[in-house]
Amino acid sequence: MARNLGRFLVLIAAALIYSSAIASSIFQPISDSHRSAALELFNPLGGSFSSVEETYEELRTFEVLGIDRRSDISTAACQSVLEILGSSSSTLKDLFYALKINGILQCGIKEDVFEGVASRLQAVVGGASALLDFYYSVGGLVLIKGQTSKDDLYLADAEGVFRSIKALSQSDGRWRYNSNNPESSTFAAGLALEALAGIVSLSSSEIDQSLISTTKNDILKLFDSIEKYDDGAFYFDEKLVGAREHQGALSTTSSVVRGLTAFAAVTSGSLNLPRGKILGLAKFFLGIGIPGDAKDLFNQVDSLAFLESNTYDSFGSCCRVSIPLILSLPATVLSMTKKDALKVKVSTVLGSNAPPLTVNLLQVFRSGSKDTSLIESQELKFDPENAVYTLDALPKSIDVGKYTFVFEMVLHDSDHKNLYATGGQTRIPIFVTGVIEVDSAEIAVLDSDLGSIETKKKIDLAEENTVSLSANHLQKLRLSFQLSTPLGHAFKPHQAILKLTHETKVEHMFVMGSSGKQFEIILDFLGQVEKFFYLSGRYNIQLAVGDAVMENSFLKAIGHVDLDLPKPPEKAPQPPAQPLDPNLIYGPKAEIAHIFRAPEKLPPKELSLTFSGLTLLPFLGFLIGLLRLGVNLKNFPSSSVPAMFATLFHLGIAAVLLLYMLFWLKLDLFTTLKALGFLGAFLMFVGHRILSHLASSSSSKLKSA
Amino acid sequence: MSPPLRVNPQPLSLSPRQRKDPTTTKMARSNFSVLTILSVILLLPVLSLSFSPASPSDRRLLVLLDDLSLKSSHSIFFNSLKSRGFDLDFKLADDPKLALQRYGQYLYDGLILFSPSIERFGGALDLAAVLDFVDSGHDLIIAADSSASDLIKSVATECGVDFDEDPSALVIDHRSYAVVGTEGDHTLIAADDFIESDVLLGENKIEAPVLFKGIAHSLNAANNLVLKVLSASPAAYSANPSSKLSSPPLLTGSSISLVSVVQARNNARIMITGSLDMFSNRFFRSSVQKAGSPKKYDKSGNEQFVTELSKWVFHERGHLKAVNLRHNKAGETDEPAMYRIKDDLDFSVEIYEWSGKSWEPYVANDVQVQFYMMSPYVLKTLSNDKKGLYHTSFKVPDVYGVFQFKVEYNRLGYTSLLLSKQIPVRPFKHNEYERFITAAFPYYGASFTMMAGFFIFSFVYLYHK
Repeated sequence: MARNLGRFLVLIAAALIYSSAIASSIFQPISDSHRSAALELFNPLGGSFSSVEETYEELRTFEVLGIDRRSDISTAACQSVLEILGSSSSTLKDLFYALKINGILQCGIKEDVFEGVASRLQAVVGGASALLDFYYSVGGLVLIKGQTSKDDLYLADAEGVFRSIKALSQSDGRWRYNSNNPESSTFAAGLALEALAGIVSLSSSEIDQSLISTTKNDILKLFDSIEKYDDGAFYFDEKLVGAREHQGALSTTSSVVRGLTAFAAVTSGSLNLPRGKILGLAKFFLGIGIPGDAKDLFNQVDSLAFLESNTYDSFGSCCRVSIPLILSLPATVLSMTKKDALKVKVSTVLGSNAPPLTVNLLQVFRSGSKDTSLIESQELKFDPENAVYTLDALPKSIDVGKYTFVFEMVLHDSDHKNLYATGGQTRIPIFVTGVIEVDSAEIAVLDSDLGSIETKKKIDLAEENTVSLSANHLQKLRLSFQLSTPLGHAFKPHQAILKLTHETKVEHMFVMGSSGKQFEIILDFLGQVEKFFYLSGRYNIQLAVGDAVMENSFLKAIGHVDLDLPKPPEKAPQPPAQPLDPNLIYGPKAEIAHIFRAPEKLPPKELSLTFSGLTLLPFLGFLIGLLRLGVNLKNFPSSSVPAMFATLFHLGIAAVLLLYMLFWLKLDLFTTLKALGFLGAFLMFVGHRILSHLASSSSSKLKSA
Repeated sequence: MSPPLRVNPQPLSLSPRQRKDPTTTKMARSNFSVLTILSVILLLPVLSLSFSPASPSDRRLLVLLDDLSLKSSHSIFFNSLKSRGFDLDFKLADDPKLALQRYGQYLYDGLILFSPSIERFGGALDLAAVLDFVDSGHDLIIAADSSASDLIKSVATECGVDFDEDPSALVIDHRSYAVVGTEGDHTLIAADDFIESDVLLGENKIEAPVLFKGIAHSLNAANNLVLKVLSASPAAYSANPSSKLSSPPLLTGSSISLVSVVQARNNARIMITGSLDMFSNRFFRSSVQKAGSPKKYDKSGNEQFVTELSKWVFHERGHLKAVNLRHNKAGETDEPAMYRIKDDLDFSVEIYEWSGKSWEPYVANDVQVQFYMMSPYVLKTLSNDKKGLYHTSFKVPDVYGVFQFKVEYNRLGYTSLLLSKQIPVRPFKHNEYERFITAAFPYYGASFTMMAGFFIFSFVYLYHK
């Protein structure tokens, strides 16, 4: 409960701060930027709009803003107007908007066409029960009356129609769309008022005054439900959620304004609407700025036009709804160095000049303090050329700072007092800026216990400095400077921050305190050791001094201090992690090439070949030895069969040796062994034969010997 | 066993519109309803994928507003989205019928939260639903302002961005504020400290400063998915402009982020800013002059900055896909099932970037391939032919085992590409070693002369008399 209450209070406080910040925001009247926006927004695709309603909105917006683009679209628009009015099947809504377009473009519709439409509309009015039917048909008849020379266009039973529309109204001032639908709508109230105004102007006889006055009462009740923004803008909003066609605040307010001004124009007697609320409505429309939507722009511009031009009523008497006057300032930031003059513009909502009036600067407050005004009431000089009210020189007592200026508009003509809504006093926040003088800045390292100055350096805060200091944790750092305003007063900037940045980008900030003009901070490193995370090393020192009214706000490097802090104890807090450089995460990686295993070291080819040659030497020696010994082959069998076996045996040996050679060159072990198997068997057979032959022959020789 | 190929799943996805593709329909009609039902069932799981390159034109965005008047005051931004083919659905943030998904499928591809002050969303939407939405790969734009509610702040916190806790604090900069006659408290910042990235901000340099009025946020240092796109100047700080500064501000200098983006691991993209006004027609149209600079720009950089960044957020830029990862032995064309150590191989992959309309070849000189087993054995930069084909060739290391071709491409602003393809590498077979080693010739010579001697000796021994 207590927490909830606390939260509520915080909310209220926040709301108050917010409202006080913008309570007196400035509303600028319609300007050229609206015109360029209109040209951009109403840019029909292929030259034609999808509906007559949109065409009318475009034409009306351009008419109010004074943009001449009729020639571009008038032919096409008139063509469709003729088609709609000529056709008997066109809808009421289309007829209504076609007539409205004709009102602007003067398409030259023939009288008989009008008569046909008028009789059709008359019939609809007679049998209508829904509000929209009344609205379009009555509106259409009013338009026909205005566009033709026929003065005898009257509603047969004006009072009856009036009553049947009135029957749809609700006790809170809102209206229902039709009798079957119990939901009431503020948007519909605007439509109903416009329709009622039409009936009054179409009626041949005076409408019952009691009906008129109850309607006026309805309007006042409707104004009870008006809603308010913090900046003084009033608006109507549709409370009905989930309606068939949800209308925004802008179109709702716009509809009410249209109905209100139309009704006020046709009835006599004042509506007694509070002037502040009318001004508030104007502020609401202006507060929107430049809408980004064609429909919104039309609603804004159209309603403002109605608010501005509602004096031209049929009775020629005084207005019913006052015309809002807007006080605006081209600039609320005034520079003392440039000697800017205070300029005030007063205009109507559409930006046309105001009637003769005087603008008084009543009071000037230092913002935030509610004390007495700094100046006497003053009248602003009028410059007729630019239609601007100026105050040539700012009052002497005004130094740099934030102020609230209170203006008042006084109309010269007493008749105008009822005609215009000036909204009483207008409070506008003004910033007076100037160059702040920075003086006697110095930085020093002090010994802690004695306070004696170890090193002291003067610095110039107009430039970057490169002071180099060193200190340990038993010492203190002192930075001091003076600030004074152009008028020589003490100045307290919003931002006076000393920033120490370690090499590892860990930052420490200290707010500079002040007494009078003197700003001083003493950093006792002993007390800051933990806050500094025991990080020794180089700290860059920066000083930032800035304020909204200080023209020479600065962020200057002062230099650096080499801090020698004790080693961190265990459990000392770790410095916060610093964000990684995105380039490290996202950059390409270094290439990696595989290092292959080095091949075994082999002797050079020549050496191997030489030694291969050398292996032939023993063989050659063997051959030479044999020759020397006088080898013969006389024992070779002479008979044919053993000779054949001997040849085959040696061929077999040669084949085995050749097989070994082939094994080396290309064959694998399996093929070799297979072949060797066959050769071995063969060799065994022929070997056995020849060897046994040789053995028998040698034994016979022995015997013979 | 086929090696698992992890390529971006999205090129496979089909959108609802493709379901209406004439060929599909014809086929379904001819094969009666069974096929239709089958195809619907098959397509259902992919309908919810956020980025579907097959038909990006029907991407639906849900725009949540505090006030419907924002539709008109921020219309240039919305119209630029509409003109780029997005289907915008505007809802009040407290609309009781709000829902992001129905029957388990997401109704939208992106969410724009332009409702800074909302304390509680209407309908079925809450913090968890928004986070689920992002977790399933959808995009998000959050704009806060000085009225930012705890809900909006906590959505941002979940995305790795911490807004200033002080509810009344605004970004103040007494040095790089925008000079406007009616704005005296230096909270309208003219920021021009952009991140250097063509993919985030487009190729055209943003000349004019961007107007910013709102609250500061800082990035979580431990989170490397979040990037500062627009930072404040070193003199900026975050504080309440109308009250005296008693303690040092929590956020100061360049550590203040004005606009940040997040690209999640599932390639969902998030843009977070502390200024809703940044998107407004008023700021788009406003001229801008930075304090202390003589140059006055007719138009602020907001429109260009916001449009370009929204193109990035909604995947119209920086979305890559890699296809056709191929490798083969040098001189061959077929992909082998296995390599031998020391083989020479060619590797190629095609990379394309989504341009908003079509897949365009992606040209960069820093795409790298790794030949990887536990750690990269080879890491090589690929060369490209400017038509999207990246290739290189290298020798298989003399280590055997199961390797992977890995393309890991993480670049600032681009979607990350993670491809891998497994390939075994075997050692030499017994008959693949060198057969005639010169160094062994003396041994062979000795053997063969021995054999020749033996042959001759056999004659001598047997027939000598």
